[in-house]
Amino acid sequence: MNPHYCCLSRNFSAALPPLLPVQLPSRMETHLWYVVPDEVKSAPLLSKYMELLPQYERDHVLGFRGDQLQKSALLARTLVRTTIARYQVDDHLDPRSLRFKRNIHGKPEVEWETKDGFCPPPLQFNISHTSSLVACGVTMNSLIGIDVEEKRRRTKNNILAFAKRYFTAHEVEHLNAIPDSELQQQEFIKLWTLKEAYVKALGKGFSSSPFNTFTIRASSGIAVETLDSPQNLTNNWQFALLELMGSHYVAICLERQETGGAGKALPIKLTARKTIPFVEDELVSGTNAVVTIGGSVTQF
Amino acid sequence: MASITRASVSMPSLSASVNQSQRRISGMNSVSFPVSGRSMIPSLRLQRGLQVCCAAKQETVDKVVAIVKKQLALPADAAVTGESKFAALGADSLDTVEIVMGLEEEFDITVEEESAQSITTVQEAADMIEKLVEK
Repeated sequence: MNPHYCCLSRNFSAALPPLLPVQLPSRMETHLWYVVPDEVKSAPLLSKYMELLPQYERDHVLGFRGDQLQKSALLARTLVRTTIARYQVDDHLDPRSLRFKRNIHGKPEVEWETKDGFCPPPLQFNISHTSSLVACGVTMNSLIGIDVEEKRRRTKNNILAFAKRYFTAHEVEHLNAIPDSELQQQEFIKLWTLKEAYVKALGKGFSSSPFNTFTIRASSGIAVETLDSPQNLTNNWQFALLELMGSHYVAICLERQETGGAGKALPIKLTARKTIPFVEDELVSGTNAVVTIGGSVTQF
Repeated sequence: MASITRASVSMPSLSASVNQSQRRISGMNSVSFPVSGRSMIPSLRLQRGLQVCCAAKQETVDKVVAIVKKQLALPADAAVTGESKFAALGADSLDTVEIVMGLEEEFDITVEEESAQSITTVQEAADMIEKLVEK
């Protein structure tokens, strides 16, 4: 049914099985791919992943201190390369042949080959990882930022002190109003991931949008309001907040492409897949592995 | 099974060297402080008297190391030096901001986002602190 994917080097005496090819997301879709590092235990498999990377990326991975950090760094590179390769842009794409560059502000992008007759797709992606989860979001056209965090992540500093220093007054007020410290911690993490996702979607670097220059409002739906135009809830960006596997928050920020009638926002169409590249892929959207907890999302 | 000639490829025995490579590799993790511009940090360090080296005092470096170890829950005997990069030690963006906040409190300084963005190693943090403390 699908073209046989076999672009691996003859240096492998045992070739990796093919990656499951996937259709590019439509203009309205967002694809979320993720890997759970604890589920990837095979040393030979991790070695194969390492071999997909160019030398400078291997060096980067090895620059992390300790096996666990190196593993999640390796899985992050592996996930982004194999995910983009699945879309079979330009017929077949070896994950190793992908090149990346940074835009003027430092945001990573694919550097497509320039050749006659080939029009690079407006594929957008963003990755995020913690030691326990590595995720990659993909869209066509829409700028995207994603951020993942463990639900039970604790700050070393007091939440309100931290928020007063780095968040906006409205956000501090919102957190301050939560009496239960557990809930307050979770709300903080949600807010953090949403703010991160927004800055990453903008792609202009942390300092161009310091966290205290924009407010994330998450009462009914999620919206961003920048301090310099407070009257104008910035309609260009839409958000989704997901709870993944009951253990992680995933925040997604997308450039809004279209609205429904009368400027009404259309929900984000999300497809989520858990993967161990070359081993297994599992469609998880619509299951209780992926629960929408904020924003307007339809999963399919 | 492909025979792996490079020992470094076999994951379980991988261990990063203590002295982190200074080579600037594109940061591909989720730390939000971008990579671009780091190599252009202006050397605004003051030259004092006959002091040729511009590095911050060891005492400052030690305090930064302590704050970093605490934030990242590293063991007391973890090898963290001036060259150590926060990201390589496992700091994500939240950790980095917390580290900066810890430095602000310890040294009674305020670090603007633009400056915070350019701190990626212990040494850079220490140098920035000394610059701000001098003011």
